[in-house]
Amino acid sequence: MSSLSSSSCRAEVDGFVLALWLLRLGFLALIYLFLFVVARVLLRDLRAASRGPAEPGRLVVLASPRGEPPVGASYPLDAVTTLGRDLTNTVVVDDPFASSEHAVLTYRGRVWYVEDRGSTNGTFVNGLQVAAPTAMGFGDQLQIGEVRFRLDRGRS
Amino acid sequence: MSVLTQAHATARRVPRVRPRFRKTELGLLAVVSTALVVGGASLGATERWLKAQAAGEKLTSFGFAPPDPRGLGVYLVALLLVHALFVLAGRRTDQILLPAVGMLGGIGLLLMQRLPQDLVTQSLGPMDLKLGQLQLLWLLISLGVITAFALLVRSDRWLRAYKYTWAAIGIALLTLTFVFGSDVNGARLTLSIGPVSGQPSEMLKVILVVFLAAYLSENRSLLAVESTRIGPLRLPPIPYLAPMVAMWAIALGIVVVQRDLGAALLFFAVFLALLYVATGRASYVIGGVVLFLAGSFVLYHLFAHVQVRVDNWLDPFRDPLNQGFQTVQALYAFARGGLLGVGLGAGLPTIAGHLPVPAVHTDYPLAALGEELGLMGLLAIFGLYLVIVERGLRIAAAAHDEFRALLAAGLSLVIGIQAFIIAAGNLKLIPLTGITLPFISYGGSSLLANAIAVGLLLALSDRGAVPPPPPRSRRWRRLRPRRAP
Repeated sequence: MSSLSSSSCRAEVDGFVLALWLLRLGFLALIYLFLFVVARVLLRDLRAASRGPAEPGRLVVLASPRGEPPVGASYPLDAVTTLGRDLTNTVVVDDPFASSEHAVLTYRGRVWYVEDRGSTNGTFVNGLQVAAPTAMGFGDQLQIGEVRFRLDRGRS
Repeated sequence: MSVLTQAHATARRVPRVRPRFRKTELGLLAVVSTALVVGGASLGATERWLKAQAAGEKLTSFGFAPPDPRGLGVYLVALLLVHALFVLAGRRTDQILLPAVGMLGGIGLLLMQRLPQDLVTQSLGPMDLKLGQLQLLWLLISLGVITAFALLVRSDRWLRAYKYTWAAIGIALLTLTFVFGSDVNGARLTLSIGPVSGQPSEMLKVILVVFLAAYLSENRSLLAVESTRIGPLRLPPIPYLAPMVAMWAIALGIVVVQRDLGAALLFFAVFLALLYVATGRASYVIGGVVLFLAGSFVLYHLFAHVQVRVDNWLDPFRDPLNQGFQTVQALYAFARGGLLGVGLGAGLPTIAGHLPVPAVHTDYPLAALGEELGLMGLLAIFGLYLVIVERGLRIAAAAHDEFRALLAAGLSLVIGIQAFIIAAGNLKLIPLTGITLPFISYGGSSLLANAIAVGLLLALSDRGAVPPPPPRSRRWRRLRPRRAP
């Protein structure tokens, strides 16, 4: 009788040890489940990012004393974007202080460059006049005539 | 200018607080909670079983309650509360950082509840708090800090405009520690103000990243120019390099004098990493590593404590009972853990009332985790750190301007590099340098500094944040335009 109870007790303890073992591995498995779920989210995120933004950048109008272009307007940029008063430009800056062919923005490699096209009043990046083609970072300000733009990342 | 401020004013009036559900974060937090409850149950049951075995009794009832169910419950509720606040605030911030940090913090909490509770005690008014409760308290404060930074930081102007002020505060903190600090284990790292004590070098790492990000983003184009030539080396203009190198040298010098080698290594690595991220030039990194090797060689011959560390690393078994004791015991712990570990609560048998690995709660938590969760557990923990670094770099890649990009990259890299330095030190891959394991080690200043980093990362990840302020230029010229022809 006593041997029976001890053996049943042993079986119970073994059951306990088994449960413990399962819990132990369950903890590890759950951490890996977490990593797996995160990895799936990250992969989806990276895939979406690798498709890349449809546009390499945007120009947002910060200040425009004559309202043309209007403040707050934002223009998606092509790899070569010309700015000036002439209607043939990609971004028309209808400002009396802008030249008809004022400046050009080019996207080379992964960097934006701005170049002055012999304008009368010059092109300014963050308040400094542009003499040669100059690299622009996102967040930099571009001034043409009295109109100020900010270069932003393109919307994805 | 008035138009600009007007535009900002109209943009600022727009935000309406509208709850925005965060499905990914909620799902991940559910996995985190389940994992931590299972871990706690395994820990509690193991402890009860081992106690019964040691007393020679048979277990009559099999409880699977965690050792401190209320503490664990409070932690999980706090995580959900932070999530609820994020939802209510309706900001479009990153949804993966909080669960990843919560998982690491929870593993740390389980470990601290499992270690002997009298390793650290502190009385707080009428209460005597032990190791597990103190860690819980710090974790709750850290979660509060993360929430506050993630929700309240809407502009980064206060960071980027006052970079020299931040640098000065950091240096001042370190100097204060050096003059008024108290010695612990032969290194003067702790500053006590009344009942509160902390390690300023932990805060300094965040300040260093802020300073470097602000400085590099302002002078990046100048640093990429090679104008100075010293022999085969081509360097950027010296005047633009000087403030940065000076800041870094002062921090490093004080740290070396304070014998905080881990922080010195961390600062150096972060400095090089940010320099590389900003300029994209490998020659800086190569030059930095060469400088580092030369510096290490000099330090090795100058300081006895550096020699001890390196000798321990090369051959801990030369003096296994004194100098090499910690390293040897940690290696034994890793070996005992094997692939799957011995289970939470079953490792680290105490020898005559002492833990086998000294400083297991601050410098060697990985030894305990490696023994109890095994190689698989350690790899999972490294995976969690990788997730944090990946999120940081993604936030950097999507940032609006250079400063935010560099700040996000720096903040995540500082966490990743710190985890690497202490993990590699614990595993005898590099000489051991005393530094905490982010989010897992016991320690208020470490948890708080990392919480600030994560909070800032969350704030930076906000899509639809206020656009960055216009870059400052040295000579903002007032234009006097002529009418164009």
